[in-house]
Parts: sequence; structure tokens; C-alpha cells
Amino acid sequence: MSTAASHAHDHDHHHHKESFISKYVFSMDHKMISKQFLITGIVMGIVGLVMSLLFRMQLAWPDEKFGLLEMLLGKWAQDGKLDPNFYMGLVTIHGTIMVFYVLTAGLSGTFSNLLIPLQVGARDMASPFMNMLSYWFFFMSSVVLLISVGVETGPASAGWTVYPPLSAMEKAMPGSGLGMTLWLIAIILFIVSALLGGINYISTVLNMRTKGMSMNRMPLTIWAFFFTAVLGLLSFPVLLGAGLFLIFDRSFGTSFYLSDIYLEGVGAMENIGGSPVLYQHLFWFLGHPEVYIILMPALGITSEVISTNARKPIFGYTAMVISLMGISFLSFIVWGHHMFITGMNPFLGSVFMILTLIIAVPSAVKVFNYLTTLWKGNLRFTPAMLFSIGLVSFFISGGLTGIYLGNAALDIQLHDSYFVVAHFHLVMGSSAIFGMFAGIYHWFPRMYGRMLNNTLGYFHFWITFITAYLVFFPMHFMGLAGVPRRYYMFTLVKEFDIWMDVNKMMTMAAIVGGAAQLLFLWNFFYSIFKGKKSEQNPWQSNTLEWSAPVKHLHGNWPGAIPEVYRGPYEYSHPDREEDFYPQYIPDESDKAETGGEGSKSAPKRKSTKKEEEVVENVMFSAIKRVFGWS
Amino acid sequence: MKNYLLTKTASVFSSKNFLTVLIFIFLPFVAMAQAASDVVQPPKEFDPSGWNWVSICYIVLAVLILLIIARVFDIGSLTEKVTGRKVINWDKANGWIAILFLIGSIAGVWYEMIYHGKHVMIGNSYSEHGETIDSMFNWTFGFTFVVFAITEALLFYFMFRYSYRENKKALYYFHNNKLELVWTVVPAIVLTFLVLRGFNTWSRITAERPKNSQEIEVFAYQFGWKARYAGADNKFGAHHFTFISGKNPLGLAVDGNVDSLVAELQADIKGIDAKIASAPDSAKSWEKQFAAFNVGSNAAAYPAVYKDLKTKMQEGNSGAYVERLKKDKRRKNTTLNRVLTYRKDNGIFNNAANDDKVTTEIVLVKGKSYTFNFRARDVIHSAWFPDFRGQMNVVPGMATWFSFVPTKTTAQARIEKNNPEFEFYLYCNKICGAAHYNMKIKMTVVESEAEYNTWLAAQPAVVAPPAPATAPGDDKKEQGKDSGSAPQKMAMITKTR
Repeated sequence: MSTAASHAHDHDHHHHKESFISKYVFSMDHKMISKQFLITGIVMGIVGLVMSLLFRMQLAWPDEKFGLLEMLLGKWAQDGKLDPNFYMGLVTIHGTIMVFYVLTAGLSGTFSNLLIPLQVGARDMASPFMNMLSYWFFFMSSVVLLISVGVETGPASAGWTVYPPLSAMEKAMPGSGLGMTLWLIAIILFIVSALLGGINYISTVLNMRTKGMSMNRMPLTIWAFFFTAVLGLLSFPVLLGAGLFLIFDRSFGTSFYLSDIYLEGVGAMENIGGSPVLYQHLFWFLGHPEVYIILMPALGITSEVISTNARKPIFGYTAMVISLMGISFLSFIVWGHHMFITGMNPFLGSVFMILTLIIAVPSAVKVFNYLTTLWKGNLRFTPAMLFSIGLVSFFISGGLTGIYLGNAALDIQLHDSYFVVAHFHLVMGSSAIFGMFAGIYHWFPRMYGRMLNNTLGYFHFWITFITAYLVFFPMHFMGLAGVPRRYYMFTLVKEFDIWMDVNKMMTMAAIVGGAAQLLFLWNFFYSIFKGKKSEQNPWQSNTLEWSAPVKHLHGNWPGAIPEVYRGPYEYSHPDREEDFYPQYIPDESDKAETGGEGSKSAPKRKSTKKEEEVVENVMFSAIKRVFGWS
Repeated sequence: MKNYLLTKTASVFSSKNFLTVLIFIFLPFVAMAQAASDVVQPPKEFDPSGWNWVSICYIVLAVLILLIIARVFDIGSLTEKVTGRKVINWDKANGWIAILFLIGSIAGVWYEMIYHGKHVMIGNSYSEHGETIDSMFNWTFGFTFVVFAITEALLFYFMFRYSYRENKKALYYFHNNKLELVWTVVPAIVLTFLVLRGFNTWSRITAERPKNSQEIEVFAYQFGWKARYAGADNKFGAHHFTFISGKNPLGLAVDGNVDSLVAELQADIKGIDAKIASAPDSAKSWEKQFAAFNVGSNAAAYPAVYKDLKTKMQEGNSGAYVERLKKDKRRKNTTLNRVLTYRKDNGIFNNAANDDKVTTEIVLVKGKSYTFNFRARDVIHSAWFPDFRGQMNVVPGMATWFSFVPTKTTAQARIEKNNPEFEFYLYCNKICGAAHYNMKIKMTVVESEAEYNTWLAAQPAVVAPPAPATAPGDDKKEQGKDSGSAPQKMAMITKTR
């Protein structure tokens, strides 16, 4: 561990003045990088949100003319009516931005960077330089994607999954021209960023934990970030491959995905022998783990926030870790449930159905554990806590509809209907966004040394929560009544027309919900500069990040890195007067070690410890050997 | 050593150097985007006459109300500071809002079910297998609804019940293996039940192609559907995507159409050759035209013309124009060669396609088994006929199918739905381009075979028979000549996977 030692040594002598560029722009400090990820994520989030409002307006008032739209979009909204091609572009870029830029980079990038070193007790990431590269690749990728919205032929518009042949041929639709090329470049840059970040998170978690921070004392956030990084590292390269093949098909005349195509205005194509379904397999091999790459950090944050604010140990720590592990593993072998009706062999479909429904078990365990953590707690409703509870609610509503969609027989009817839109917007969209908000409200004091305004936070939460349900819940009914997704307007068919007033209601709710984000933005940017100064440990939390001084230091702790003496969730310990027992405080007496004999429902700590040890030995001994940890 | 390298590379890339590198990586993208959006659109005039003033007033009003509320809370927090007493106990308030939310959402769903409930799962299914899907749906709904109701109710109840009180200590409760085992095993059992049932339903619907089923080819293109019935000989003619032309939209192996396609392709190739030969002259003339046009404010006044001329000139000068022509020629040559190769094959060109009927409506007979064979011309489409619980992707270069038995006629459905204008439709359900939202074909279910026969007889055949009296006889002769080889050939060239 010579690197760590020399780093600590460097740290003592590193008090020279940093220039603006090395401190705020090309910073290698994980806290600054996390802020960069967050701000970029918020900016991209605003773009994605505005796009969704634009197409929601189109769906609600397809015949209305909006002069404002024409001013904003020019030729894409002639006479104030949105162009169908641009509608598709908006849908595509909205999906791409939300899935990759906000909920992957904005969520996991921000909080992995902020929390991994601080919560495991490391001075910085394993490779700060790679960490910086990771952000700048993400930044470049964001800029390329935003540029692609402005090109003359329009942005990529084949849906965020960009299925070829639609996306592979320039003449198939306007958006498949330069816009699609830029989309692919953006995604490839994004993948580089995700891989650089992922390698870093994994090596930091495995190698740089402080003394006493064994794997079974890690906060669940770290577990979640760790599994997320593993998922990303194993699945993003496959998307890279899929993207490269697509670039080859588009630009160099290969036929990976193309066969037997006659295109209006061009004629019969030369390509023969490829299969569009191959792309779908490659895409969803990333695409499904991606759902958990989005969701798991949010679940980790929720575990931490719920436990802290319920003043109660998280229920079933080991079960939580095992279910995260189970979800991660299973997420690699269920991608086919996106493809039941693509003409894939029906038997393969039934295999994927079985594996998919197994995922419901660890997910159910997580929900029950959250509920039991709330039970008999002493719930402090900070905005972070409210957003976490909101996440649990969305996770239940959206997760249960997964049981319908994972069932191949039901998927015949429900595939690509509004039911699917409702499902994933609740379970991964709203859930993960709420996890992100929870994280921002909870760790804002840690990031900026100031507090966010709680009252504004309450308004932000309740308006967002109610409007999100108002927007996404009625979509279930629409989907079940046979309304397909990605339709530009619903007035042409009578069976869809009956939903127009529901569509209007959803759009109005979306506009109100979108406006509520202004409260958040105001709160966020105002509080960075003028917010109330934060205490060192404002939430009376147990974890290690609150032992570092409020003012950010390069290297996190002024002196030695604190040691860890116990698990992260020792709240309301019966033997202590305070209702929290930080990880970094040495044991006061032997009594604390053995746990509360007096309280009847508390399990004996000794046995719990033993069990944890057993679990750790069984679960990790194999991995330990592979990685050679000590 | 490793450490040395790290610090070394870090310092090389650390500040300004790294910025330069980034800018250089980044520049090409900016250049590309600029090249693409070269012409700036003339700004639209500011014209508020078309604005919806009522909505704007509502928005302004809403913002004002919000500001007032914010002010009230500001004052509240100030008094809190001054008096040191809590004006609002947010912990309690949030608990109450949670309960209100729970009640409100139940009321909302109730209202929605009264309002639109009859449309959920579109009433009842109109196909045999659809009933098994509906029963699967009901079982799943039963289980998930119970879980949903209990867990959501508990969640909001806990928010209300256990909100923060000072001097209270939460229960120090780490885990309970028995409880955890129960809620792992119970969902597992329920899911096993659902999986087995789902597996059964799914396999029954999709695994085996029914034997005595009437086949209909359903053909998808940007942006519409066509159906093909086998015609009098009850045999589908062969098809290939290279045969597709204006006269022959489905690419059927029809002698006359394919021959005229060959002639068309040959003429096209000659035309391209001529264009390539005169390319230098065209480039010069475009340059002249552009120079003549690009004076004064023409560029800003006619951006489309300007852009068109400029691209033409640039492409002419850079050789991109010739490259494109050559590429086009190569493509047409390939198509031509393929068409000529297949043209020689009597197994494909056996006149079986001549009496096929291509229709813009799908007519089915109640109670009869049908298999749709799907074929796409350009991109992936998806055939969704929700009333019959059927959906299958239509993939270029890949044969897919879906079998079902309609159980009720359109007339019956109209009575059931109390809607005299009701029609069954088959929609496109996979994003396929700008007019995706309007890509559908009517499906009509009739009571008897006779009605269907009358309808089919009225549809024109692909090749109009020379004289109605002799046509059936001709067909029979053809049939006898190459008995049964057509489907095999068809399978060969469409490469069924």
C-alpha cells in the first residue's frame, strides 16, 4: 500500500494555492467532480423535462396552435403545431437524456463520487485522474447530444432504443441522418465515461476502505454503488459493440442488422443476411442492467436516508445486500423480456419469462424491509425522507406492473402500450428521480456546507409526488384499453379519442409538476450561496462522511482517517442516551458491544455479529480469494 | 514507478494542456453541426395575436398565488425565529397529508374506473386465445392488487402513525429471520403459480403453428398495411424484396411486373452512366448558377434555394456527386443481377401469384382459425390487434406469424359496445417514422363463409385474368405443372429464420 502512504504524505505538503482551472474545472477532487456531475445532470434534466412538456402538450392539444412553440422551434413547429418528425425526436432525446444523462451519470455519477470515498474512509478515489476524465467525457457527450438536437435534419428520432433498420438508414426518416450519427458519438463518449467511472468505484470500494470498515459494515449506499458499477462495467461494453456495428452499417455498408429492405425513394438495398433482432439482443443486454444501474443507487440512497430519519436500524441489512446481489445477477439474464414478440423463438421467451419473474422476489424483500424499517420508527420528515418514502411508493406501484409485463402471455397484449410507459416511468423514472432528490436534500449540507430550505422542500415533494402520480397512473388505464405508445396524436381513431380529457389532465399535471421543479432549482442555487450554514452532522447520522469537516479539504480529513468500530445503522441503541451511534466513535464500554440485554425485542448483538461474520465468510471468501483482499 | 507515471501524466494533462486536448477532440463535432445547420432561419415576427390569453392569465394567477403562499410561509418562519415556537409542526403535517393523499388517490382511481373502467382490457376479448390471456390478467391483477393495497396503505399509515415525537425512541430492531423467510417464500410461491400459468398460456398461443389454419399475408410498409389472400388456387405466389416496384408494391413474382422492373433498372443504370459522363459539366454549371445567385441579400431571402445550390456546387466540386452516382449505380446493378437470377427460376415464376388478391382490408370469418404471416418492406413494424389480443413484430428479412380464432363478428361487437360505427383495427405498434400514428388497417369479422366469398370475389386479382371464363382453367393448368414447389422456393429465398 505504498501509494496510499505516499498519498497521505503528499497531502501534508500540499497546501499550495490551486488555480481556478485546477480547482473548479479540471479538478481531480472527488467532491468537486461529484458537484460537476450533479450540475450537468440538473441541466440535462431541465432539457429532458422541457422536452417532455412539449410533447405532452402535443398529445393534449393536437389541434391547437401555439405561437410560442413556433418562436422556440422554428421550422419544427410551423404555424405553432409540432412536426411529427420532431415529436419523435423529442421522445427519443427525452428518453436518452433521462435514462443515461440524468439517471445514470447525474445520479450514480454524483453520489458514487461524493459518497464512496467519504463513506468508506478514503482520501479520494483510487484514480483521481481517471475520475476527472470520466466527468469530462460525460460533459463532451452531453454537449454532443445537445448539439444533435439543433442539426437541420433533426435529432435522432427512432426512439431511445434506436432500433435499426429505422436508425440505420439515412433515408428511413429525417432523424436518422446526422442527428443519429451525433447520437451514436454521444453514446460512445458516454460509455467511455461510464467505464472510467465504474472501474474507479469498484477499485475504491475494494481497496481503499479505512481500518475497521469490513464489507459488512459498509453502508447500503456503498453496496448499491458497488453493484451498480459492476453492472455498468460488464454491460456497457456490449452497447459499445452494438453501437459500433450500427456505425458500420450506417457508414461502411456492412449488414449486421440489415436484410431484405426496400426503401421508398431509394429502391432495394444491397444488404442481405443481417438481423435487426441481433441489435435488440445486444441493446437489451445493456438495456436491462441499465434499468438497475439507474435504480440501485436510488435504492441505496433510500436505505440510508430512511434508516437515518426513522432513527432506526435498517431492517435486514444482510437481506438487503443479498437482494441487491440477486437483482444484479438476475438483471443480466432477463433482457429477453423486452423482446417477447419480436419473433424470437417462443421457447426462449418462456425461459426469459421465468427468470424475469424471479427478480420480483428480491424486489419484494426490499420493499418489505423498508416497510419494517418504518414500523415503530420515529420518523423525521426531512424532505429527503419524504422523497425516499415517495420512492418506495413508486417502486411498489411500478414494480407490481412488472409482473404483468414480465409475463410473456400478457405481454402480447400490453407490449408497447401505454401500460409500459406507466410501468417504467413509475418504477425507474419517478423512483430513481425521487432517489436522486432524496440524495440531494440529504447530502446537500455535505456538498455545499449549507442547508436547503425545508419548507420549499415540502412543497417540492408533495407537488411533485402528486403530479407524478396524476401523470403516470392513468396511463395504466389507457394501456389496458389498447392505446399504443409513441403516437403523435390520438384524435384520428375513435377508440383513442375517448382518452383526450385524460390526456389533457395528464398534461396539466405535468406542467404543474414541471413548474414545481422551479421551487427546487431556486432552493438549490439560492442555498448554495445564501443558505443557512450547516452543522457538521446536521441529520445526526452514523456514517463516516459526517465526521469530515464542513469545509471541503483535499483529502477529506485534516488528520488521520477515522477508524470504524461498528455497522452504519446503529440508531436508537437502547444503551445510549443519544439516538445515534456513529461508526467512528470508539466503544464506550463492553456493554455496547454485546447490545441491549434489557430491551426485549432487540436481538442480542453478539449473535447478530456472529451471523454477519458467517455470512461474510460464506459470501465473500470466494471473491476475496479471487481479488486477493486482506 | 506506477506512482511516478501517474503524477507525470497527471501533470501533463493537468490544466491548460488538457484544455487544449479537449478542445481539439471537441472541435470536429462543432464543425459537423455547423456544416449541417449552415443556413440560419429568418427569425419569425413577434405576433401575440394568436396567443391564448385566457391560459396565460391562469398561469399568471397561479404564479401569483404561489408567491403569496411562499410569502405566508416566510412570515411563518420569521415568527418561528422571533417567538421560538413552532408555527407548523411539519412532522405531524406530513403525516396528515400522507393520509389525505391515500384517501384522495383511492377516490381518484374509483372515479376513473367508473368513468373509463368499461374500456379496460377493451371489454372482453374477441378471440379464443384472448380469453386465456384475460384470465391470466385477472389472476395477476388479483394478486398484485392485494399486495399493492396492503403495502401502499401500510406505507402511508406508518407515515402518519410513527411521525416524529420528541423523547420517543425508535425500536432497536435489526432483523427477524423467520419473518424474512416468510416474505421471501410467499412471493416465490405466488410467482411460481403465475409463471406456470403464464408459461402454459404463452406456449399454447405461440409455440405451435396450427395445421388447418387459413393463411393471410400481412405486409407492412412506411406507412400502411396490405393483406394478401391466396386467391382461387389457394396458393401464395413467391415474392422477393428485389421485385418490389411501383406496379408491384409487394414484390410478387409476376412475369410482366418483374420484366418491366428489369427494363426500368436497365434504363436507370444507363441514365446514371450518362450523368457520370457529364458530371464535370454539371459541376461547372452549378458553380456558375451559385455565383449568379449569391449576390446581395438573396442568401438570406431564399435560404432553401441558397442551401440547395450551395450543396450541389460543393458536391459537384468535391466529387461527392459522382461518388453518390456510382454508389447508386452499384446498388441498382446488384438489384438487377439478383432479379435476373431469380427470373430464370421457374419454381418462383410459376404464375401462382397471378390470382393472389392484395387488399386494403382484412376480412375474417367468425370461428375459423387464421394465421397471419407478417412481412415488412422497410423497417420494423409491429402488428397489434388489441381486440383479438394479438401482437407480433413485423421484421424485414425475417418471417414471423401469429395465429388466432376470432369469436365474434364486427356486428356483434357493435351491439356489445353499443357503438354502431365500431370497427376492429390492426395498428402499427413499433415506432417506424413520422406517420407511425396513423398506420392501421381495418379488420372485419363476418358471420359466414358466403359473406367472405362475396367480398373476396369483388377484390381485384394481382394480374387481371384475360377473360373471366377461362381464368380458372388456366390456373389449374399452372398448378398441375409444378405441383407444390412454390412454397419451398418461397421459403428458400425469404430465408425463414
